[in-house]
Amino acid sequence: MSTLDNINVKVINPLPTQQVDGLSGNADAVLHEIVALLETYTTTGEMGAIDLHSLPLTPADYELLRATLTEGEVHAHINAIGNSDIHETCYPGVWWLTYYNAEDDIVAELLEITSVPQILKAPEEDMRDGLARLRDRLTQLE
Amino acid sequence: MNEPNTLGASLARSGVSRRSFLKFCTAMASLMALPPSAAYAMVDALNRAQRQSVIWLSFQECTGCVESLTRSFDPTLEQMIFEMISLDYQHTLQAASGEAAESAREQAMKASWGKYLLIVDGSIPTKDGGVYSTVAGISNYDMLVETAKGAAAIVAVGTCSAYGGIPHANPNPTGAVAVSDIIKDKPIMNVPGCPPIPSVIAGVLAYFVTYGKLPELDHIGRPKVFFADTIHDRCYRRPFYDQGKFAKTFDDEGARNGWCLYELGCKGPTTYNACATIKWNGGVSFPIESGHGCLGCSEPNFWDKGSFYKPLAVPLADNATAITAAALGGIAVGTVAAVISRKHQSDISKEK
Amino acid sequence: MDLLQFARGPALTWAFVIFAFGMTWRLAGILLLKRRPDYSEPRNAVSWPGAIKLIVTRSWPRREFVHRTAFGQTLGYIFHIGLAIVVFGFAPHILFFKGMTGVGWPNLPNAVIYLSGAITLGALIAVLGRRLSHPVLRLLSNFDDYFSWFVTFTPVATGMLAVAHLGARYETLLAIHILSVALLLIWFPFGKLMHAALVFVSRGSTGALFERKGASI
Repeated sequence: MSTLDNINVKVINPLPTQQVDGLSGNADAVLHEIVALLETYTTTGEMGAIDLHSLPLTPADYELLRATLTEGEVHAHINAIGNSDIHETCYPGVWWLTYYNAEDDIVAELLEITSVPQILKAPEEDMRDGLARLRDRLTQLE
Repeated sequence: MNEPNTLGASLARSGVSRRSFLKFCTAMASLMALPPSAAYAMVDALNRAQRQSVIWLSFQECTGCVESLTRSFDPTLEQMIFEMISLDYQHTLQAASGEAAESAREQAMKASWGKYLLIVDGSIPTKDGGVYSTVAGISNYDMLVETAKGAAAIVAVGTCSAYGGIPHANPNPTGAVAVSDIIKDKPIMNVPGCPPIPSVIAGVLAYFVTYGKLPELDHIGRPKVFFADTIHDRCYRRPFYDQGKFAKTFDDEGARNGWCLYELGCKGPTTYNACATIKWNGGVSFPIESGHGCLGCSEPNFWDKGSFYKPLAVPLADNATAITAAALGGIAVGTVAAVISRKHQSDISKEK
Repeated sequence: MDLLQFARGPALTWAFVIFAFGMTWRLAGILLLKRRPDYSEPRNAVSWPGAIKLIVTRSWPRREFVHRTAFGQTLGYIFHIGLAIVVFGFAPHILFFKGMTGVGWPNLPNAVIYLSGAITLGALIAVLGRRLSHPVLRLLSNFDDYFSWFVTFTPVATGMLAVAHLGARYETLLAIHILSVALLLIWFPFGKLMHAALVFVSRGSTGALFERKGASI
């Protein structure tokens, strides 16, 4: 046993939450914002997004969000400078996007309210580049 | 179609997909607390933008600031800033040396006169004609003045170039000063810290490249997006301060329980930086989370504001001698006054 | 040197020097004064019980005047106790004293301090209001009274603003708070605030005199 083990370190939750249930009230605010953004999208077609890192969420808040916005029908995985995990929630048009870096730390986490998140759509310029590459390939084959 | 020399095209050439780029912009927008929709605006603007020419001058410094950025936690994401800029001169990073290196700087200056971004790390020694730090025989002072003339804006990275930093500390043997002490006619943004948080450097550079201007600055030139709050206000140990629970030494019960480090000299209450929210080493922790008080490294003259371990509430000087001397002086004057008064009284009674 | 460095450095040093000099000068000057010899025959040989008795009885309103003085005395007690809690119970203040004297003691939770501070401010505003509205009190008041009130009020007010981050940046508010304390220290020995050191001396002397003369206390 090394001497370091003799040091008695107590790890306690540094942020004692006021309520017993550990909710800060922010999860509730996010859910209400989703309703407002869904209303906007269904009436005007304007997409909306909520940055989950822009407001403090306790673990209990996350739990509530996940429990309310359970996984829906679509689940996508993107591999571009690290992983990205995108899934539709049980409410169609509400997407949960989690971006990881190469070391699998979360670098951005957001909710998008739209029919298809922008990052899933193939960018036109990339499509044009791909078209050129495929044409080249075919000419080489011929 | 894209112009061949736009940022979008150059990213495509180096194999960065547009999805990766959108991801980078989303992460940067989230970091700078911009609304998520700003990420799409950033992608749009950056795709059409030219690669920003950057000249990076290192003066009286320790290279810690360059290390901070280049060894940042996430090489693929944060170093994408290097894809967005054309780093035309950086004497630590560039392959060229000697004449070739200096001519690269001159060429870059000529090619994008009035448009390039000048990044400076390190303070500028001014004593004895600036002989204490020279590059290629040119004093830091002369090189700064010459290079600043054609810059669109200047970013002072690190506390040394922002406020003089450690070279400026008392007694400042080299007469070190900040960039803003010399250059008065250019927009200057200070990104202080010893070193600054890499994401903060990347974030403000991304902002400049995107919007073509510096973000909103506070009264000492720091971008408000990262320097608006004190460490203390964003500290996870703040509830203990409010409850009046303090660690008294670095190894007592309070320290083990993770209580507030105010009594151990933490400068969090007077230090504006983003350490408590963005943290270091990929979000692992920041100094207070590791059990040491904040040194206040992003504040001017942090080196000369008394001991790092002296609580903020304690007077800077040791006043014991002065107070004792004053008290003795007071007793002496009071005694003399009393003696004169007694003499006066007895004189009066004698007259009677 | 920024404002906070000035406040924590030279401003405090000079304030301490003036405070220490002024206090000792006045105390030595007063305590070493020649007492007038009293040739009358004492009614009571030992006079110190009277001194203690007067110190205690004068700390309480006399029954005959209680309806007239209770309000003012209650306010006085409230802000004196409030000041004591804030000055000696707040952790940063204890550090201040510990840094000067090496002696420290346990602190109170900040919520208690904030509440005491708010009550103290309220009581201080009320005593000023009473001073301004009471015709006799107003006639008796001079610059010393108002300035002594001001230098007592500002450290509490600026301290509260500093912890609440209201009006300016924290470091500026903290510097103003320390400067206001420096002003208090400089004024202390030369104005009516000196009562803190002299109140029991004067009451004790009066009490001892009364006892000697056999007056009822």
